[in-house]
Amino acid sequence: MKRLLLLVSIVLILTGCTDFEYSPHQAFDPDSPTDLNAKNLEKLLKITNDDTVRFIVSGDSQRSYNEVELFIKKANTIPGIDMVFIAGDLTEFGILQEMEWVVDQFSKLSVPFFAVIGNHDLLAKGSVAFQRMFGNLNYSFTYDGVKFICHDTNGREYKFNGKVPDINWVQGQMSASADVMHYIGVSHMRPFSDDFDSKLDTAYTNILNSNPAFLASFHGHDHSFGEYFPNNSRVPFVVTTTLGKKGFLLVEIVDDQIKYERVTY
Amino acid sequence: MSPIKSIAFLILLLTVQTKVFAQKLNFLIPNGAIVQHAGSIGYLSGGVSYDLFKNKRGSFDVMYGFVPESKGGSFSTLTTKLAYRPFEIKVNDWMVIYPINPGGFFSYTIQKDLDLTWDKGQYPKGYYYWSEALRAHVSLGTELTFNITKLLKSGKPQALTLFYEVNTNDMYLVNFFQNLQALPVTEIFKAGVGIKASF
Repeated sequence: MKRLLLLVSIVLILTGCTDFEYSPHQAFDPDSPTDLNAKNLEKLLKITNDDTVRFIVSGDSQRSYNEVELFIKKANTIPGIDMVFIAGDLTEFGILQEMEWVVDQFSKLSVPFFAVIGNHDLLAKGSVAFQRMFGNLNYSFTYDGVKFICHDTNGREYKFNGKVPDINWVQGQMSASADVMHYIGVSHMRPFSDDFDSKLDTAYTNILNSNPAFLASFHGHDHSFGEYFPNNSRVPFVVTTTLGKKGFLLVEIVDDQIKYERVTY
Repeated sequence: MSPIKSIAFLILLLTVQTKVFAQKLNFLIPNGAIVQHAGSIGYLSGGVSYDLFKNKRGSFDVMYGFVPESKGGSFSTLTTKLAYRPFEIKVNDWMVIYPINPGGFFSYTIQKDLDLTWDKGQYPKGYYYWSEALRAHVSLGTELTFNITKLLKSGKPQALTLFYEVNTNDMYLVNFFQNLQALPVTEIFKAGVGIKASF
């Protein structure tokens, strides 16, 4: 009996050779990846351009690793995809470990992926952890003539302080450029919803609408598919469901036209 | 009674009472001191330990830990730990192994970004359902205890214990139970090591 216990304990220690952790709230550990959005952009820019820009908008992967596994398999079977966006709420609790689990899974995608900040990702030390792992909360890049404007719209997390989304930054991103033919927005919360700063609803929507080359704005957070044209918006605000509900948006820009379809798996 | 006598009497009374009170507070004197590395309660933590139960197989520890900025902090964590040692293996007269010691602890992290409760003005009721600052953990420990009195023929400390402990917390468990296929159990357990001196 004693020998058995000794054996069991040795096995426990050896198999339980798990990571040493200082705190579930630590913003990074020696193994956490860094600057993933920039690294994925580098990969993306190496892809040879074609006539079509094709990408996936997924969202709210929180607490859904089983389903994310299936999503990765599905996404890897879709031909011609250039990249995948996670439109916020990668995590439930905004903790490092959840970000690492999600990144482990998304790294199995055959194409680059980009993370956009969600309200859950901002909780606790999440904002610090996210910025170290992925990069700035507001960022943009241009691929094949399309400029993707990814940004923080989680107004409630900032007590509706009138600064999120940063409409000056968004406005600045809209300035004309020779290599940009179209603009796309990706953010977690859509305007004219409960958690978006209502003081900025109109100004934000107007900025996006004022640029005729702005095609569509993509979002998560609602936990269901949706398409909105608030305040007679020309621009559609398109919402994806959660990865937990096994759905995402497949988006395609061909000949100045944008098409998006809801995919379930 | 003269004033001097009254004061003398009062002092005597106070002294006696303090002595009785101090004896009553004897239970506050810890049975051991602990220093720990990692284990989810700080890069480094330290604290005191109390023996529980007649057989002293139980323990109650109060710990203070710190994670410096260079290790992913910075913040402090206060922890209260309970553990029980159901099995005892006496290797020889100066070494004992406690192979599997189940336990649990609460950790409270003190940092401005971590709130105990949600701001009522900021969020509708029930918007989030957990506490950011307070974690509940379950743990499994293994201990190797050296009886210093017998080993070195010296009395202080009476014993030194090396321990290894793995734990998981409420947040990891929520993730785990919803994803039994995708998350192996080893992913949610995190380790720490420490040393305890028993007086």
